[in-house]
Amino acid sequence: MDTLRETLRLWTTRLRMIFRRSDTDFDDELAFHIEQETAQHIARGMSPDEARRQAMIAFGSLSRTRQHSREVSPMHWLEIFLQDVRYALRGFSRSRSFTITTIVILALGIGATTAVLSVVDRILFRTLPYTHADRLVSVGLVHSMETEEFMLGGFYYDWRRNQQPFEAMTSEGAVTRECDLTEGNPAQLSCPTIEVNYLPTFGVSPVLGRNFLPEEGRPGGPNVALISYGLWLRHYNRDPSVLNRTIEIDGKPVRVIGVLPRDFEMPRLQEADVIFPMTMDEAADRKSNEGIGSPKRVFARLKPGVTVEQAYAQLGPLFEQTQKWIPAEIRADFHLRIRSLRDRQMQNVHSTAWVLLGTVFAVLLIACANVASLLMARGAVRQRELAVRSALGASRARLIRQALTEALLLSAAGAIAGTLLAQGLLRVFIALSPASIPYIHKAQLDLRIISFTVVLSLISGLVFGLIPALQRPREDVLTGRSVTSTSHAAIRQWLVVIQLAMSVVLLTGAALLLRSFWSLQSQQLGMREDNTVTASITLGARNYSTPVSKMNFFQLLATRLRFGPGISVVSVSDSLPPADGHDGVRYGEIFVSGRPRTIGGEDVVVKYRLISPDYFRALDISMVQGEGFHEEDLNSNDRFVVLSQRLAEMLFPSHDAIGKRLNFNHVNNPNAPWYTVIGVAANVKNGGLSGEQMPEYYHLRRNREEDWAGHGVWGPTSLIVVRSSLTTDETAKWIRAQVSALDPTIPVDIATLKQRVSKLADQPRFATVLVGFFAATGLLMAVIGLYGVIAYLVTQREREIGVRMALGASRESILRMILGRSLRLIVCGAAVGLCAALGLSHLLRSMLYDVGPHDPFSYTIVLLLLAATGMMASLLPARSATQVDPATVLRSE
Amino acid sequence: MPPSSDLLQGTLDLLVLRTLSSGEAHGWGIAQRIQQVSREVLQVGQGSLYPALHRLEYKGWIKAEWGDSENNRKAKFYSLTKKGEKQLAAELENWERLSVAVALVLKEA
Repeated sequence: MDTLRETLRLWTTRLRMIFRRSDTDFDDELAFHIEQETAQHIARGMSPDEARRQAMIAFGSLSRTRQHSREVSPMHWLEIFLQDVRYALRGFSRSRSFTITTIVILALGIGATTAVLSVVDRILFRTLPYTHADRLVSVGLVHSMETEEFMLGGFYYDWRRNQQPFEAMTSEGAVTRECDLTEGNPAQLSCPTIEVNYLPTFGVSPVLGRNFLPEEGRPGGPNVALISYGLWLRHYNRDPSVLNRTIEIDGKPVRVIGVLPRDFEMPRLQEADVIFPMTMDEAADRKSNEGIGSPKRVFARLKPGVTVEQAYAQLGPLFEQTQKWIPAEIRADFHLRIRSLRDRQMQNVHSTAWVLLGTVFAVLLIACANVASLLMARGAVRQRELAVRSALGASRARLIRQALTEALLLSAAGAIAGTLLAQGLLRVFIALSPASIPYIHKAQLDLRIISFTVVLSLISGLVFGLIPALQRPREDVLTGRSVTSTSHAAIRQWLVVIQLAMSVVLLTGAALLLRSFWSLQSQQLGMREDNTVTASITLGARNYSTPVSKMNFFQLLATRLRFGPGISVVSVSDSLPPADGHDGVRYGEIFVSGRPRTIGGEDVVVKYRLISPDYFRALDISMVQGEGFHEEDLNSNDRFVVLSQRLAEMLFPSHDAIGKRLNFNHVNNPNAPWYTVIGVAANVKNGGLSGEQMPEYYHLRRNREEDWAGHGVWGPTSLIVVRSSLTTDETAKWIRAQVSALDPTIPVDIATLKQRVSKLADQPRFATVLVGFFAATGLLMAVIGLYGVIAYLVTQREREIGVRMALGASRESILRMILGRSLRLIVCGAAVGLCAALGLSHLLRSMLYDVGPHDPFSYTIVLLLLAATGMMASLLPARSATQVDPATVLRSE
Repeated sequence: MPPSSDLLQGTLDLLVLRTLSSGEAHGWGIAQRIQQVSREVLQVGQGSLYPALHRLEYKGWIKAEWGDSENNRKAKFYSLTKKGEKQLAAELENWERLSVAVALVLKEA
């Protein structure tokens, strides 16, 4: 009880001591002490005045005692901190522009860096959802028409049996086919086929059920499948009883044996809803596909300690064996390739990601330099204030603590604003990002990245905030003469030069990308894109299993579409330019009747397209020679071909191509049919927007089963082009109505030709917009930095300017003096930046189209822009310099 | 004469606690008493006395109350708490050990 009261009392005492605001209590106590002392002196015979004086002398400094007894409380430190914070906030509110500029710059630096790093992190450094993903590789052959690794049943089995470097080797079917779920709510699904050891090789096990068993991959094995987590969620509401249930796919019963993990993804990142085991019948596979075996995508797990290079070397003998098996005419075109899974996934976004990363670090550097420069300027301005505080008894430690508190507060405010900005920027990036950049849509602000940038800005703030505080305040500052250290000014000028140089590098990158994007957009594609709506239609494998059914569907659809109001042309083809990726043959495989085979040209790809007679009219492609296909050719037994101008020039440089007979598949098939050239069409861009112009030829898709047999991924898909005088929306609606009248279950992907073309430019557009944004940010910050330095210079030299003016200097000469100073900085920055940009711009080479990395036009524009904005920024302080009134300045001395 | 700097760190606390163990006293009284008892050898300066008193109070070893002094002035009187008594005992024991040890070293080293 007693101890309880004592404890209670103790705590009230402590709280009172901690939160004590007034010192009256303590002063009373001290006053009593002095009185007692005085009384004692009087008792010893001193006069009262003398007694009191002696008592006071003996007591010493009242305030110091007060201070010391205060520091007893542990809250003392908090109190000092709060005091520092209050002081700092008062200081900030007095110099608003400094505070706002600093916070804005910090926010821009932190925000931009965080947003981009969050995106790039997902692309470059994300962990793949497989165990020991660093040992997974994609392996296979590549040639000029298939640049992604593949293998064929004809040799895959030998490789798998005899390979050395891999722990395991597995494959998936090269084509992920569409399949239909034909029960409950019917749906078109993606159904890849995988070898039974596929998932164990990747280290993936189902969340529910089991992996495939070896017998499920043998001929005549049971009909089983794994389903994706997404399908389980969407279609079966995560019902665990889906296990062992028999579902109906393409009308056939299939037993579900497992559910894949939520984060599972196919290594090629394609959709996968239902996964089937691949039936491995070696003998049958070797004979299939005209004797070369079915195509596969092959993945393997390296043995521990084996590198990709070693694996490449170890597979050499197997590759040599396989080469002997490839027809001699095209052998040289085949190469072996092994690369890590990550490289395969990120093949073409790699450079974009690195460029973004570099850009954003440049911006961060500019921001840090800017903040440093601002803090140093502020430190210099406050030299007198620091000297006063130090003269009034503030210790060095206290002054340093104050500087730290201010830097901390600014960084904290910048970090908060920056995080908000990053959140917004990230949304913009995601909205802008093309679908071809995998996983960007899952990008999130990363706490690690935020802390990284915040710490970075904090360090720069601390380092440069401390420099002025660490210097011993000089007494002469107090005399009223304005003494300012010149070394600070020099450092700040260098910082500005760095900023300007960095922004030259950024601007150059942006200018080059912009130029490249411009030429990409404004190039002549060789076709007309206006007033055309396209529809991509993929027919399901179940309802349209025969070539005749596909032919009937598209013929019927084309006929229906033609009768629409305002429709002028309807064409059906297996693909559309300028996208790359459709089928082709090697130039060296083309035979010309009455001529020996052309030697060489194995690695030149000639694209071909299957079209309807109206194709050239629909895209407005003109005929250079001869004529296009006619309606009556559709039912003819003759085989005609139209060549592109490029191909005609290659095959017949000095002759007329019309009437020549060609064979395109003689190497593989001696009975391949011969075609007669009836026309030469103008070149159309056909290798992607930035790709090279490839030779091309056109076949007519006649009303014959053989012409609709289709193969590969493109088999079931056809593209319809409708040219009309209606609006896009009306045409789209018309197409949809006609398709759904024929078959309401078929999904239609409608877009104008312009949109399809523009989609191809998504990635360059993304890079251009981002780099442009950062270049603008960087330039803005650098110019703010320049402005700050020049403005500071002017206030520093105010007196000098006053004297000059008093001695007769004209306002123009003052203006010239200030602008000259600024021009010197700009020229320095531009020179350094130019060198850096010339050295660095080749990194952009792979992203540039039709523009060299040393394009003089871009560099000139950048330099002009820098000079113009730089001079504009310094004009303001320079003008204020000319407004200096000599009388006022000189009087204040 | 710098009074307290000669005192070992922590010794002042011990002296204050010991002084208060013979009854409550105000700050001036404590200083006087230490001075008298030590025959004017130990002079406690205010600059260290009051911070020490506040420190001890914060630690809960002594408590303070306002009361009337001998000459009827308002004064702050300090007295030992239970915790303070225990602390005093512990520190006395410590001091004994220390002084014996120091004496030994001085005599025989």
